[in-house]
Amino acid sequence: MAFLIDRTLRAAARLAAGLATAAGLAFAPGAANAGEASLEYAVKANFLYKFGPFVDWPATAFATPSSPFTICVVGDDPFGSGLEEAVRGQTVAGHPVAVRRLAVVSGEAACHVIYLGRSRVQAPAEALKALRGAPVLTVTDERQGFSGGVVHFVLKDGRVRFGLDMDNARANGLTISSKLQGLAVALRRGSG
Amino acid sequence: MTAVGWRDRIGRQLSVTPAVAVGVALALLAVSLGLAVYNEHLGRAESVQRSRVQADILAASVAAPLAFDDTEAMREYLNALEANPAVEAAGAYDLQGRLAAEFRRAGPPPPAVNHLAAPESQAERLSVTAPVVQGTTRLGSVYLRVSTESVLRRALRYLGIGVVMVMASLLVAVLGSSAASLREAHRNLQDEIREREKAEEALRQAQKMEALGQLTGGVAHDFNNLLMVASSGLDLMNRTTDPARRERMAQSIRQAIDRGANLTQQLLAFARKTPLKTDVVDLAAQLEAMHDVLDRSLREDVAVRIEADDDLWPVEVDPAQFEVAILNIALNARDAMPNGGTITIRLKNLARQGGAADQVLVEISDTGIGMAPEAASRVFEPFFTTKGVGKGTGLGLSQVYGFVHASGGEVKVESELGRGTTISLALPRSEKAAAIAAPAPAVDESFAPGKRRVLLVEDDDRVAELVREMLIELGYDTIRTPTGAKAIEALDGSHAFDLVFSDMVMPGEISGMDLARRIAKERPHLPVVLTTGFSASAAAAAAEGMRLLVKPYRLETLAAELEAALGGANALH
Repeated sequence: MAFLIDRTLRAAARLAAGLATAAGLAFAPGAANAGEASLEYAVKANFLYKFGPFVDWPATAFATPSSPFTICVVGDDPFGSGLEEAVRGQTVAGHPVAVRRLAVVSGEAACHVIYLGRSRVQAPAEALKALRGAPVLTVTDERQGFSGGVVHFVLKDGRVRFGLDMDNARANGLTISSKLQGLAVALRRGSG
Repeated sequence: MTAVGWRDRIGRQLSVTPAVAVGVALALLAVSLGLAVYNEHLGRAESVQRSRVQADILAASVAAPLAFDDTEAMREYLNALEANPAVEAAGAYDLQGRLAAEFRRAGPPPPAVNHLAAPESQAERLSVTAPVVQGTTRLGSVYLRVSTESVLRRALRYLGIGVVMVMASLLVAVLGSSAASLREAHRNLQDEIREREKAEEALRQAQKMEALGQLTGGVAHDFNNLLMVASSGLDLMNRTTDPARRERMAQSIRQAIDRGANLTQQLLAFARKTPLKTDVVDLAAQLEAMHDVLDRSLREDVAVRIEADDDLWPVEVDPAQFEVAILNIALNARDAMPNGGTITIRLKNLARQGGAADQVLVEISDTGIGMAPEAASRVFEPFFTTKGVGKGTGLGLSQVYGFVHASGGEVKVESELGRGTTISLALPRSEKAAAIAAPAPAVDESFAPGKRRVLLVEDDDRVAELVREMLIELGYDTIRTPTGAKAIEALDGSHAFDLVFSDMVMPGEISGMDLARRIAKERPHLPVVLTTGFSASAAAAAAEGMRLLVKPYRLETLAAELEAALGGANALH
């Protein structure tokens, strides 16, 4: 119970901080975009680990039952410390959640979720190509200016939503819960 | 006691006692009450379970929208609860327990902050919570509040059932008690019937005693008259030597004795103690043979005419009783014709239609003074008589009635004052052929039986002397013994006998019946004829098929019976 209250208080503080930031930004129109963006990425950071329960990775994706559920950010990191805050204390299917930041990815990257940011080192298309067939939930973001991940973040009516590419998911050996599919604003389901 | 006996007894107890019926009714009520409580409990548990399942389904549905903060999708899932009219309010909560989306139909809104708790029932409302979990990851919780059936409605429902049960119980109780009272009434009725039967028996006995009193007076008077005739006739016979006059006297004495015998016959017939020996009879021949008897019984100014159909059907009756009945009617007819007249006896076949048995009709009409309807309706009652005190016993026509009914027939009387009376006997037709009626045996004076030897067994000296005379008159040698034991001695002695003629009731250990049985066993070729004045003895002898002469008997009858017995014995040789 104490734990629950502790978490609740912490979450409340986080929200209050977020709102204060937003409110403060509202009085400074020049900085409005930055404030909205930080709230948007806080939401996206939350989503990144929440995809975990709705996706099944092949058994080979985890070395041991205690291996962490790893979320990787490739290229520029738009989350800052927000991602660490979001995943702190969370578990996915019993695995602790870990965050890694990478400059480049290869097929052997020990990541379960990879958020692709802009990168001058490795073009996103290349990264996606490298990850094709690997048991990784690739996430692209409309705001980053490219698509092609299994999950693709979009903004709709000012809210963060996502589309799903079932072909890519299947290619990567992932099974996505129908519940998650039901929430997707766009669902690509090819024949192949 | 057998198992069946016990079951019967238990069954009777159950069906009878009102207390048991009430007990059954109470038990019924208790059982239905118990069932109601159990049902209530079951229904509550079921309702909780149903709500939990609903909450779980809701939790599973909102897992993804809750995780990805899709309020619209959450609301869609929540609004789907509208299909269930029992759901009052529902809410989806994030991991921190804050309300994310709600559904509300009635009552207060879902709480702003949700805590997982056990189902809570509160005044017709049931609140349940369920965690929202995807895989092993907690995502939030849901809250669901359903309205349960109101206490009033539940009470009304149980009241309805209760009323039915109470009515059923009452019905059982009422049926039980009514069955008990019916049984009680039945028992009372049977008691009453028994009481009545006893009372009726007592009444009959009293009537019989009264009737006997009247009868004794009438019979004694009649007998005194007859004895007077016989006694004075004998006196007169002794004082005269004129053969014609003696002959007349003898005739009157004869008639007096015949009437006396008739009288006793009537009494016996009335008492129904004489065995009814039915025979297939041709009534025309029977009447023809009676003609002389009738003539002698009636006065000279009364003529008798007999008219019989040709091919008259036979009937099955006791011929002796038939003769007595005819004689009784004829005597009544004679008395109804003080100035003389004609008695007409008609014999007719009466073919009946429609399945009824054919009958032979015997109509006896007189030309006498007739009767008033009141009298005509009572003529068959015992002791009813129109004649003066001491002149009639009132038994004549009741013998007729008894005879006809015992023979399966009907009797009716038609009478008109001044025009005469007709009495009709309808006797059932017999399908058997009539035996050729033997004409009344006449005494053949010249018949010489060759001095056959008769052993006469009779305890009364005077009767023995008379019978001895009669036997001698009929040409038999006679030896008399006073008891059965002596008779056996005589039979074992040196004399050989052709026939034993024995009284039935005698002093000593061996009765006439015993004697006859013994002779039948030891000397089957020796014929035995029994005689008695006791009707009970006569019935016993008749039952064993023995030859029997009922006292008093006439010389001709004795002769015929003895000849028949000897003839039968000879035929056996």
